[in-house]
Amino acid sequence: MNVPAIRLQGLKKNFGASEIIRGVDLDIHRGERHAIIGPNGAGKSTLFHLISARLPITSGTIELKGEDVVGLKPFEINRKGLSRSFQITNIFHNLSVFENLRCAVLWSLGYRYSFWRRLAGLKDARLRAEAVMEDIGLTKRRDTPAGILSYAEQRALEIGITIASGADVILLDEPTAGMSNTETEEAVALIRRVTEGKTLVMVEHDMGVVFGLADRISVLVYGQIIATDAPAAIRCNAAVQEAYLGTSLHSGNDHE
Amino acid sequence: MNSAIFSRSRLALWGGCLALAFALPLVLKSGFIISLLCQIGIMAVFSLSYNMLLGQTGLLSFGHAVYYGLGAFATMHLLNAIGKGGGPLTTALLPFVGGLAGLAAGIVLGYVTTRKAGTTFAMITLGIGEMVAACSLMFPGIFGGEGGVSGNRVVGKETLLGFTWGPQVEMYGLIVLWAFACTIAMFALTQTPLGRMANAVRDNPERAEFVGYDTERVRFLMVILSGFFAGVAGGLSALNYEIVTAETLNAHTSGVVLLIAFVGGIGFFYGPIIGAILVTVMQIVIGGMTHAWLLYFGLFFLFMVLVAPGGIASLIVVQRALWQAGLLGRMLPHYAATALPVLILLAGLVGLIELGYALLTGDAGVGAGDTATKVLGMQLQLGTPGPWLTALAVTGIGIVLTRWIGGRLRSEWNATLATLHGDKA
Repeated sequence: MNVPAIRLQGLKKNFGASEIIRGVDLDIHRGERHAIIGPNGAGKSTLFHLISARLPITSGTIELKGEDVVGLKPFEINRKGLSRSFQITNIFHNLSVFENLRCAVLWSLGYRYSFWRRLAGLKDARLRAEAVMEDIGLTKRRDTPAGILSYAEQRALEIGITIASGADVILLDEPTAGMSNTETEEAVALIRRVTEGKTLVMVEHDMGVVFGLADRISVLVYGQIIATDAPAAIRCNAAVQEAYLGTSLHSGNDHE
Repeated sequence: MNSAIFSRSRLALWGGCLALAFALPLVLKSGFIISLLCQIGIMAVFSLSYNMLLGQTGLLSFGHAVYYGLGAFATMHLLNAIGKGGGPLTTALLPFVGGLAGLAAGIVLGYVTTRKAGTTFAMITLGIGEMVAACSLMFPGIFGGEGGVSGNRVVGKETLLGFTWGPQVEMYGLIVLWAFACTIAMFALTQTPLGRMANAVRDNPERAEFVGYDTERVRFLMVILSGFFAGVAGGLSALNYEIVTAETLNAHTSGVVLLIAFVGGIGFFYGPIIGAILVTVMQIVIGGMTHAWLLYFGLFFLFMVLVAPGGIASLIVVQRALWQAGLLGRMLPHYAATALPVLILLAGLVGLIELGYALLTGDAGVGAGDTATKVLGMQLQLGTPGPWLTALAVTGIGIVLTRWIGGRLRSEWNATLATLHGDKA
């Protein structure tokens, strides 16, 4: 199919007088793993907030699988098959790991706002939540309240909630931020596993993760994309090196 | 899985409570006790419905009495409209109409209030509560003005299996049945997709939106359903008291239900039931003993907020955890040792409060300290320093002892909790 998973055209976002996103055109192909990198304050997270409708756009268009999604609410975009994670862990703190994941699958299984069905009787919801729990390696923490999990476990749960609904377009905002090297390796393996066959867009600072996972990379600098290309080409791109002046794209753990 | 609604242990618990509720009036035959039990049943349903919002959905409402009051008025008007044409069966089903009135009010008012959560929601409910309360005085034709609307729950000449609902004990039976049906329904609701997503919206509305749920819709549905159960409670109150006044839907009633739920424990399904029992008993028993009962209630609420913000239910849960870990035995002597100084402190405080209250509101008016006044069953000269110094001294001793022994209780408590959590880790 030629329709891109996400197509951004002339996307702009102003906060008051300051322009944060200054005209972004970007096609994310279906099934690709796409990383968005750039210096701090370049607008990477803002771009995610615009695509997922957490923030309203100022101008431009956003198409999800060929459909105009500008003006939709976050839950409406989620129902169209786009799911996202957050840079700051965003989970249901008082609910157990299992309940967190079950909440994440209920809508996609069509249970909507049902108050006449028993949760315990919904086998498909239980099986799917358990499968995701196994995937993210939290089965042994099933009944632990999410709020008291370790940081890395919460990050894994965050990814689990994001993928549980079976959305085919996944946005991950700095999935490995604040993790140790070992935890990062595990997280990368996890991301690779759970986004198999899906479209993945991620914002990431860790160049090791970016160059290890991404099929293509876009470089966002001051609200504009200065390059979109395969990792090898990005590494040699003069404009990118200019933007990252003084920092190395080759090191494995680059936080500029 | 403990989430089955009718698991064996839960069935035993429900059954046991139902049997106890029906057995109580056989043992405690006094009319006073039965009236008290009736009020507890009504308040339990009302506060459980309130906790559907506060505890389960994270919505702090200052206007929940609106649904309760409208349910009560709807029930009363229908009761009077049916009049002689009805019978005990229709009367028994009337609280359902109260529920429908609450539900309808939930649809209309919830549509406005649930657009926002948090402080905005609280403020809007406060405003709407005041508005409805004001309307109730503006339309005496519907709300009966100051005198309220009264009726007679015994209608027609027939009986239903021998019941007319006339005697208070029969009314009690009807309340028990409704209260149980409502409690089971509200518990079942917590085990459904909507009930769970209400928890999710309470914990993190943003995340709930990003897993596909419209948080406004979740809140709206919870307000509607909660309005239904509050309306049923209002309907029961209409039948029970045979009078409905504007007070049933004003801010005071909204405040009481908030306090009941909070004191009982909003983090637990059954918390509000404990709160309803405790507060109703306090209200009636202490209220019967002293006019200053609201002051005591205020102090008690303050104490709970400061010492056990999780409510009575949270205290029970901790004790059960200690018991299961075999640590309760270690704490019991300390509880017992602390009880005495606390009682002394309470005695002193009660003395001061009653003396002050008697001095300020005594029959002879302010400053009537020269004559002997009856305080706490004793004839005391309020103008002399004797009673005051005694009460002050008892309070002082109570404070010193409580601080001393309470400090030891606290350190033992912390050590025990550390052991408990250490075991878990």
